[in-house]
Order: sequence, then structure tokens, then C-alpha cells
Amino acid sequence: MTKQAFIVGVGETPPTRRSSKDIRALAIDAIDAALADAGLPPTAIDGIVTDGLIMPNTVPHEYVTAQYGMDKRRFDGSISYGGTGIVCAPMIAKAAIDAGLAETVLCYFGVDWGTRASGPYGFHDLYPAKLAFEKPVGFNGQPSYFALWARRYMHEFGATEEDLAAIAIAQRSNALRNPRSQVKKPLDLEAYRASRMISDPLRAADCCVISDGVCAFIVTTGERARDLRQKPVKIMGCGFGTEPVSGDDIFTQRADLLRIPGAAAAAQQALRQADLTLGDVDFAEIYDCFTISCLMQIESMGFCGPGEAGPFVRERGTTVDGRLPINTHGGLLSYSYLLGAEHVIEAVRQLRGEAGAAQVADAQVGLVSGLSVPDYGVLLLGRPT
Amino acid sequence: MSDAPSTIAPEFAGFFAALQERALAFPCCDTCARFHWYPMKACPHCRSSVISWRRIAGTGSLYSWTTVRHAFDPAWRDRLPYIVALVEFPDAPGVRLIANVAADPESLAIGMAVTPCFDDGVAIGKSGVTFVPAGNA
Ligand SMILES: [Zn+2]
Repeated sequence: MTKQAFIVGVGETPPTRRSSKDIRALAIDAIDAALADAGLPPTAIDGIVTDGLIMPNTVPHEYVTAQYGMDKRRFDGSISYGGTGIVCAPMIAKAAIDAGLAETVLCYFGVDWGTRASGPYGFHDLYPAKLAFEKPVGFNGQPSYFALWARRYMHEFGATEEDLAAIAIAQRSNALRNPRSQVKKPLDLEAYRASRMISDPLRAADCCVISDGVCAFIVTTGERARDLRQKPVKIMGCGFGTEPVSGDDIFTQRADLLRIPGAAAAAQQALRQADLTLGDVDFAEIYDCFTISCLMQIESMGFCGPGEAGPFVRERGTTVDGRLPINTHGGLLSYSYLLGAEHVIEAVRQLRGEAGAAQVADAQVGLVSGLSVPDYGVLLLGRPT
Repeated sequence: MSDAPSTIAPEFAGFFAALQERALAFPCCDTCARFHWYPMKACPHCRSSVISWRRIAGTGSLYSWTTVRHAFDPAWRDRLPYIVALVEFPDAPGVRLIANVAADPESLAIGMAVTPCFDDGVAIGKSGVTFVPAGNA
């Protein structure tokens, strides 16, 4: 029988476009906060798990180990990159705990793309075909990649700008309940239509914010969790999915550009582990880098059929008091853009009942998802019992 | 002139060689006769490494497009707004080429025919090929 694993401490730096602190200082702030939240000394950490690409290059595991004098660390793990990486970190942490390789695992993720010169746009330079064939035509920003998806989606399904606006408006309303949100201006359909066109059909209101910051959380055993400060949030399931498409090809060459097969696979894997269905999910924190990608993930995970996400969002209601609250903190569109690390923290907060004016009533099961094309992660968390 | 990066993977070279001769060519597997794009070391369909560059007629259709109105790279600021499209070709199934289109954005529609133009005069980017609506070539 596998052991159970719980998130027992969370920490995040305040959402901001530009921090006066560098990424390592931000990481220390987030880890300090997570340790304090759990009531654990740094030396209790015996494992570290992060994404496998961004953290190893900016806040490496050995740096954190040395900074905190973690002299008992005996486990090191990483998975995927970016959003999928941090959403799936609990999978690796739990597996390590199950295998007896670690007992108390630190997970963290963040970016300094608000201050870094190339921001998020430099990231795709690691793909040789993008450099050779896409940069020379000025196809060089994530909004343009997703604009091609959005135009095609609108063509194939008859979707409209109201469908895109619905998710942006609902999430902004959630963000306004949260004093920490990076964006504080209300958004209605009129304001959406007045929002600056970035790469049409995507407007500024369809695009995530850009941020500096780090989030951290701590995973441990049920036995250990009992003695700690916070009510433990249970890791009910955690799934990873992907498809055989390279990072070069992902935005342009997939036969069906409008489906994300990894999302379906990851959701099914997580639900199977948790013995739950999507109908059991009380709220969802979905990787909303753009309105269009959020709509496509809602469909690909199976909440509704292809092309149905716009009407689904409007009819179901995705604000905090809707029937399926989505991105209860405001999401990447309005809260901050740490590639979904903040989604994990928000889900824990909701399940502990600490979300204040943004609290979802009687939240028992939260779904968190992370997209790092072609990879996808789904994490199911349960309320402390 | 194309402005291909100075160090490109060897499997990319055929595209730029064809452009020098004002033509479009894509990698096609000698074993299974299927195209793939972007270029890979071996055919992703059957793993054969015997791959030839096959020239195509050039006329394609718009799969999707966007009018870029924000310069993500400051070097593009004075070219705003410009159109980036995904073009499909009837004689190269499975290939979608990212390309600039020189046209009034209001005149574009998904599925419309576009033809390649290799003249620097219409070039928007530095890829060596820009598409124009068919009939305007
Ligand atoms: Zn082949």
C-alpha cells in the first residue's frame, strides 16, 4: 500500500511585475515562508524537487541546499519544465516518500521574467527550428503563437471574441477579491473590447501578466504532517501527459492544433489515482497563459466537448461563486505569471479555507493544471480532514 | 536575401538552398514518401534516414494568421503591424510553413490561396520568402 503525502507548508513572494530582489533572493523569501508556514526547520528537508529546466539554471538545488545547510538531503528530483514541472513536482515528491527515499520534500518554482531583458520571449531560443524558420519572420512572442490557435479555433468552432472575453472577465472578477493580485482594474465586455490588440485576435486582456516571483511548498508523510502547524492538504492524485511532438513543432505542426492530448492523459491519470471524476472537482486552477489556451484545456481535460468551452464558461459560471470556479486568485491573466506555481499555492489556500473574500464555499477537491507544451500536469488536492 | 542563422543544423540546409533558387522545398522520406516539418535527423513517421528535399509548386492556403501589433523583439518595432501566417501546401501534406504575408489584413480569410514571392521588394522579414494573395503575384 502506498503512503499518503500531504502539502504542509506554502510560501509565495508578493505578485509584482518587477521586484527589487533577484530570483535567488525571491526563492529564499518563498522557501522561508513555506518553512515558517509548516513550522519546520530547514534541516528537516531531505529532498528537493523542481522543474528540470528553468530552476536548474536559475536557482539550482545545490544552491538552496547550501544556503540552508540542509545536511540531511538524500533525494533530488525534477520533472518536465515550467508549469507542468511544478504541478507534477508532488508526483515525484510522493513517489520518493513512497519509496522511502525521502520524508520531507521541498518544491519551488519562479521566474524573473518581469525584469529579465528578453522576458518570456527569450525562452524559445532554445529551439533550433524556431530560431532558423520563425524568428526571421517575426514570429517571436507567445501571444502570436496562441493567436494562430485562437484564429483557427474561432474558424473551426464559430467561437467569438465573447467566448475569449468570458474567461478574462470572470478571472478579473476573482482577482478583484484578492488584495495581492497584480491587476486591480475591473474588466467588463466594453473594457475588454477597448483592450489593446497585441496579435489579433488576442488583446492585452487575453494575455497573462508578466511577473517576478517564486512560490515554494513542502510535501511530507501523514505521520509527520500530524505534528505540524497547518492542516495538511492531501495529494489525491497527480498525472503527467504528453504527445510525441517536439518543442519546435508544437505551436504550428501538430495535426490537430486545437487539442492538447497531454491534458486528457494527465487528467485521467490523476482522477484514476484519486478515484474521482471531474464532477467531483469543486474548483480548478487551470494554466491560463492566454484565454484561448485556458478554453482549450477545459475541453481537452474533458470538462466539455471541443468548441464548447466558451458557452461552458458562461453557463457554468467560473467566478468564485459560480458552479465551477476557475482560477480563484485571478490566474495568470490577472493574479501573477509564475507559470502556475501560484495555482498550487492558491489551491492549498482554498482547501484550508484561507482564501478570504475569494473563498469557494465548501471546497473539498481542487484541480490544478500546468501546461508546458507538449507536456501537461494535473494535480488533485483534497481538503484536510 | 534570406537571413538564415549562421550556424544551422545540417538537416535544415535544404530549405535555404532551395530559397537561393527561388523555390520552396521540404524534407520528404525516400522510404515512406511522407513529408515532415520541421526537419529532423530521421523520418519521424518510419525512422528512415534517407530523406530528400522535394520542391513544391509553391501555391498554398492560409491555415491561420495573425496581425502582429506589438514588437516582442524591439528590432521589429518599425515594421508593425505585420502579418504572420501558417501556410499549407496541397503538394506537401503535413507541412505548415510560418511566413509573412504582404496583404491588407482585412482581405485575408482562412483557406484563401497564397503564392510565394522571393523579391526583396515585398519582403517583411528576412526569411527570403513572403507570400501574397494568389492573383496578386
Ligand atoms: Zn519515412
